[in-house]
Amino acid sequence: MSAAADTKDQVAALGEKYKYGFVTDIEMERAPKGLTEEVVRFISAKKGEPDWMLDWRFAAYRRWREMTEPTWGRLHYPKIDYDDAYYYAAPKSAEKAKSLDEIDPKLLETYSKLGIPLSEQKLLAGVAVDAVFDSVSVATTFKEKLNEAGVIFCPISEAIRDHSDMVRKYLGSVVPVSDNFFATLNSAVFSDGTFVYVPKGVRCPMELSTYFRINASNTGQFERTLIIADEGSYVSYLEGCTAPMRDENQLHAAVVELVALEGAEIKYSTVQNWYPGDENGKGGIYNFVTKRGDCRGARSKISWTQVETGSAITWKYPSCILRGDDTVGEFYSIAIANHYQQADTGTKMIHLGKNTRSRIVSKGISAGKAQNTYRGLVSVHPKAVNARNHTRCDSLLIGGKCGAHTVPYVESRNPTARVEHEATTSKIADDQLFYCLQRGISAEEAVALIVNGFCKEVLQQLPMEFAVEAQKLVGISLEGSVG
Amino acid sequence: MNAAAIETRRSEALDNFHTRGMPHRRFEHWRYSDLRAILDAGQVAQSGTAKWQVESVPDGVELFDLAAPAEQAPEWVVRYLGTVGNRPTMKEASLAFADGGVALRVTRGRKSAAPMRLQISSTGNVRLLLVLEDDASLTLMETHASDAGLLRNVGVEIVLGSGASLSHVRLAPSAPKSITVEHIGVTEARGACYRAHFANFGSRLSRTELHILLQDVGAEAHLSGVMVLGGEGHADVTSHIEHVSGGTRSTQLFKKVAGGKSRAVYQGKITVREGANGSDSWQTAKALLVGDRAEADLKPELIIFADDVKCAHGAAVGDLDPESLFYLRSRGIPEREARRLLVRAFLEEAVEPIEDGGLRAAVWREVEEALSRAMVIVR
Repeated sequence: MSAAADTKDQVAALGEKYKYGFVTDIEMERAPKGLTEEVVRFISAKKGEPDWMLDWRFAAYRRWREMTEPTWGRLHYPKIDYDDAYYYAAPKSAEKAKSLDEIDPKLLETYSKLGIPLSEQKLLAGVAVDAVFDSVSVATTFKEKLNEAGVIFCPISEAIRDHSDMVRKYLGSVVPVSDNFFATLNSAVFSDGTFVYVPKGVRCPMELSTYFRINASNTGQFERTLIIADEGSYVSYLEGCTAPMRDENQLHAAVVELVALEGAEIKYSTVQNWYPGDENGKGGIYNFVTKRGDCRGARSKISWTQVETGSAITWKYPSCILRGDDTVGEFYSIAIANHYQQADTGTKMIHLGKNTRSRIVSKGISAGKAQNTYRGLVSVHPKAVNARNHTRCDSLLIGGKCGAHTVPYVESRNPTARVEHEATTSKIADDQLFYCLQRGISAEEAVALIVNGFCKEVLQQLPMEFAVEAQKLVGISLEGSVG
Repeated sequence: MNAAAIETRRSEALDNFHTRGMPHRRFEHWRYSDLRAILDAGQVAQSGTAKWQVESVPDGVELFDLAAPAEQAPEWVVRYLGTVGNRPTMKEASLAFADGGVALRVTRGRKSAAPMRLQISSTGNVRLLLVLEDDASLTLMETHASDAGLLRNVGVEIVLGSGASLSHVRLAPSAPKSITVEHIGVTEARGACYRAHFANFGSRLSRTELHILLQDVGAEAHLSGVMVLGGEGHADVTSHIEHVSGGTRSTQLFKKVAGGKSRAVYQGKITVREGANGSDSWQTAKALLVGDRAEADLKPELIIFADDVKCAHGAAVGDLDPESLFYLRSRGIPEREARRLLVRAFLEEAVEPIEDGGLRAAVWREVEEALSRAMVIVR
């Protein structure tokens, strides 16, 4: 598709505002309000978890009670009352669905409205989907085909029952229970999420995808994703998120753990489009996410790509621990904040092994009255001989009321390492805009065009299925930011 | 306004110091310099007052000894002392505990060509106030003696009137057993210009912190600095430049060489306030690690609330370029000499901005000496 046609689509989409803001009216089962040991026990029982898992959750819960919420982010929001929310909500009928046919048609309808191809007939070739609705995983497609390849792709609640040894070995090994306030909270109350295991030498035959949907009101979503790529394997995983438009703020605190063993590669892409709140800053999702990948084996690679357009608050730092020798970590990010959105996002690259390499490309766009912060750490440990890092972070400001901030940390303790960081801040240049305008392109179209150009380096990294969606999102998110 | 105002500010400072306590690494901007781990509040309070000495006072420069009773303080001292820039904890300590220091004023339109030398020695807290009235100019060479005892804590305030221009060179030789802290607050009116160079050769803990307010159109700040560290030396330069008004400019260029087990730190923050359109700022920090156990920590930070601005920063840590080294060696230059040559070349760019030839030479002399310490264990 030509750039011009693309832009037309985006502009057409501009009128739609947040099209995922509907609510599905479906009967829900909830845990009692608030967070107590009883609620933790309730969630664990609902999932039929073994005792060790319950103990693990209790340990997390007790620790969380003693922790304080971090305040170092450049984020301002009213204090969250953790005892005034539901920690578990599940569509009543979804509990024991064995196949898609048994799933409540209302749910399927919801996903088709979202454009998620759940029913297999409609599937785009080659994308297996796990859909998480509020607290439970409602459907996983393409299971058999994956089974043939030996790939395990299932809800994490199922993995805890069926692949207990593996979950026990890896869960919390990348993001420890005590890692941070939100990760610890998640460890106590996570209700579902996705588990992926790719066996030795296997190249996962299709893109794996999870779609997260918050539907119930006054409910937090706490999902947990664990991906293990065994020696020499490869997997590409996509994640998408939406939520209804509500006046209240809803909490989302997820944890994602990636483990890449020797020679393995994991590509993790996210298009985050939680409800960002309205143009006056009312409502929207509070998105506090801990994502970390561990390149445990030599020559492994983890690549994060994220397009962050939604959420009222985003607090998210997908990181790589480059533990094995010759490992590679990558982080490509687009963060767009419009109206009253606040995003504080970035990455950590921890170089531990020899010849480790990392690359960071971050594009931040602020418009309206939004605040957008890149916060990143590149740390080279004494044994990381010949480590290399290159970081580029660019900010684009649209309008004089928004803010763009860059807070990079560079810490090097090895003389053979090379770390480079560069950052620029700019606005859409008048001559660029003028050039477009005098060729008959409207101001809004021109902005979408220029912004897409600004983000191109990152958009290119996305798998095709997501790249199109992401390009459109860039346009939609900036709706109303000019003129 | 009267002398009592100074007393009020001092007692406020004392309260602030006691409420906040010693800075430590859990304070994000003290992350790389854990002061509390090696010094307690009582030691700061009891460290006495450091000495200062001005070689000769040029024409048109007024000097007031802050050890004199506050009632004798001229109006300009009362107006500014304890009010310039932000009020971080250690700066509050120097105001609260120093029983002396020096205040200097360059009267309107006076241009003082020859550098004025200010030597700071001995241990303890001390204050320095420098007021340049409209269109005045001065070159100040601030040198530190290495006999800093346990702690030397200097609080500096600089007021630049409209069109005033100050060139400030701070030379701090190696003081491996001492803790040296200096806070510099600068406020600049329309068209004022502050040029500063910080040559740092490491202490047990050395912190130089700047807070510069570019208050009005045309105000400029140009900072440069070198650090050459060896042994277990530590040096931390932390700057915060605020573009309060539009049409202001700032540049920063810092180069560091860290050998032995030393630690070189640079944290540079630029804030462009809302409406400060047409601001232009860039900062570059580069570090060479020449010791296997040396560490460099760089944190260039941009906080921007206006859209029509030009802001850029860069940071890099690495080793000498092996190709350049090979080139020199292929021409018969021994490795040791070749390395030294390349390190000098690396630092050159950051020393060059010092305008006064004599001061530049003084910095180079210090650099040469420090290089022999830093590069003892050259690989």
